[in-house]
Amino acid sequence: MRKVGIVGAAVTPFRAKWFEKTYYELAQMATAGALQDAGMDVDDVGGVVYGIYNDIFQRACIPEHPLQCIIGLENKFGLRVSNGGATGAYAMSAAHAYVAAGRFDTMLVLGVEKATDCFDFQSMSATPEVIKTIGWSGDSFFEQKLGWTASDSYAEVVLAYMDEHPGDLKPEVTAEISAQLSIQARDNEYAQRRFDQVTREEVLNSRIVVYPFKELEICVYSEGAAAVILAEEETARAISRNTGQPVIWITGVGEANEPSFAGKNHKTMHRILSHHLAAKRAYEMAGIRDPLEEIDVVELHDAFVHQLEISMAEMGFVPLGQADSLVEEGIMMPGGKLLVNPCGGLIYSGHAVGASNIMSAWSARRELIRRGLRRALVHGTGSTVAQYGVVLILEQE
Amino acid sequence: MSQKTAEKVIPLEAIPDVGSEMVAVEGREYLVVNDAMFTFFKRAMGELTPFFLALRDEKRILGCRCTKCGLVRVPPFVTRCPDCGFAPTELVEVGDVGHMLATPPVTYFANSLFQQQVPFGRGRVVLAGADTAMSVNCYTTRGILVPGIIEKGTEVKVVFRSRRRGEITDIFCVPTAELQPDQVAKKGLEETEIDWERGQEPPLPAVTPEDEALFRELVARLKAIVRELNACERARRDIANWWRTILVKTRGGSLVMKIADGELSVEEGTVPSPDLVMVIPELEVLLNGLAYRGSLTQAIMTRRLWISKNPEFTTVFKLERMARSLARSKKA
Repeated sequence: MRKVGIVGAAVTPFRAKWFEKTYYELAQMATAGALQDAGMDVDDVGGVVYGIYNDIFQRACIPEHPLQCIIGLENKFGLRVSNGGATGAYAMSAAHAYVAAGRFDTMLVLGVEKATDCFDFQSMSATPEVIKTIGWSGDSFFEQKLGWTASDSYAEVVLAYMDEHPGDLKPEVTAEISAQLSIQARDNEYAQRRFDQVTREEVLNSRIVVYPFKELEICVYSEGAAAVILAEEETARAISRNTGQPVIWITGVGEANEPSFAGKNHKTMHRILSHHLAAKRAYEMAGIRDPLEEIDVVELHDAFVHQLEISMAEMGFVPLGQADSLVEEGIMMPGGKLLVNPCGGLIYSGHAVGASNIMSAWSARRELIRRGLRRALVHGTGSTVAQYGVVLILEQE
Repeated sequence: MSQKTAEKVIPLEAIPDVGSEMVAVEGREYLVVNDAMFTFFKRAMGELTPFFLALRDEKRILGCRCTKCGLVRVPPFVTRCPDCGFAPTELVEVGDVGHMLATPPVTYFANSLFQQQVPFGRGRVVLAGADTAMSVNCYTTRGILVPGIIEKGTEVKVVFRSRRRGEITDIFCVPTAELQPDQVAKKGLEETEIDWERGQEPPLPAVTPEDEALFRELVARLKAIVRELNACERARRDIANWWRTILVKTRGGSLVMKIADGELSVEEGTVPSPDLVMVIPELEVLLNGLAYRGSLTQAIMTRRLWISKNPEFTTVFKLERMARSLARSKKA
């Protein structure tokens, strides 16, 4: 397997609504930005993996087909990945495999989502229709008609965890994490809620959307695009010499999809084994034994603050049942051992689904370079009951 | 062809008119078009047919048992067991009483197809004789569903809708603790056989002069908050294209709150046929909600605020959104 690194990356601003741009232009902006960052011409790119989650958001089946020439990759390889919330992370995993296997020397990974063109004419607001559109992702025979939503399916897992560990995920702690993420978003000039710093009390007072989740503990739907360019070792080093930017190597990749049905021999509802297994596999590949000691930055797909805490435990940073130690022992607080979601996470940076995990990789790479750190973990979660998990390990030499 | 009065697969009220508008962003105007994606189905239920027919016609719940390992999956979503080299499964009937696999979430802010139904629970029930858990809606027979009523391990009974269509929504669960023993024992219990606690407007105590004085003071403060909300562009957008007349009853007196396409107003008094009645013994609860010091949703959950129509949670959310928008705008 060949060594693969990230040599360029870019994001568009994540916004609640882009009236000024369609997903065509958002995709083009991110592509042009990543190419500029890598000092590359589009002709030097071997192929593209698209991360686009939901056809309905783009209002088209095979929404990627117009993009092929819009991003200048006509007559080249183009594969679309759609894996729920984990779409972006799975897109990077796929591109990594193609480059590592020697099929291509360079690949673009392009995520884009235009999530809030959906509109509910009954409540005269977008969000219920966005949630409905995602609602078509629930099981079509047994769950959609029960009012399945992404929130209530993740809440199932979180509540089951709380059944097992009643002392963990205290409201004060989830509120503290949300407040901390809101402060971190200030550093991300592309964040949807860059200037929306909230206090712990505001989070505690915010309304319950789906019990146990409060409004300020849930990611916000966004429109935007993100792109990274992957290259095999020799090409990556040449690009790095040209740009003066270090290569950020992808040294570990792991994925797992759990069962979506629950009970004996199926999903263990109080666990997120997909995140546990994905991390375990990525750590093995990267040679990581103690993630808390060996990883500096975590860009975690925080669909919900409670799930962020459980995911951190499942990935081995804190014990299961003691996820609150992330705050209570200061692990992810300022000056702590880990920098978690320096971009503000999807709760404050925004969740442009197919682009989100790629934005996380963009942020992780940026933090490694500008802070001179060694290792980062990028995480993606998706589908019903946190069924899908993807972990990538990024490293600076 | 169906008759004109037949229920439609898409609720007619959800369908927008053909139209478009211009939206200005930083001095430039952009076209926004009303649109839809729609596809109709005659969907084959295939191997799931016996399960759905048993719900509809026999009020029975079927699972499938692996002929090799004996695992009973409910609903019967496989015809072969992937754990046993795809050994065949056989359909078996399971019980209609079970326990919750985990504490079910309660949805207050639903997707656009379910806004008439909030709040509702959706959890997984392990029925007697089953090994896997089935997704079901959970309700309480006693008013608004709040956390704590149904939890992990709570024993629940499957209740059948009176009008069944061969869909998963033909059934839902309620706690057996809320039923009589004969209801729990009865096979095929229907929703009409249950005593549902109707949403009775809670009575308010007799008004004292102190209550009236406090009411006047609080209304003045409320009006000040409303003025601030109306002055906030972001908050006004939250109630754009929305019209509601709300009668608010408190222990010190009544007031009428009107939402009229971006404008919120409050006046003391009453109104004959409001869209929504709110009963809030302590008017301060409403004040705090609008001033972003507390949540109106949580006030409903803790019975400090009563609303006459659950679908009007949408209006409550809009009021809460205004409060947050004002708070956000102050930070910017």
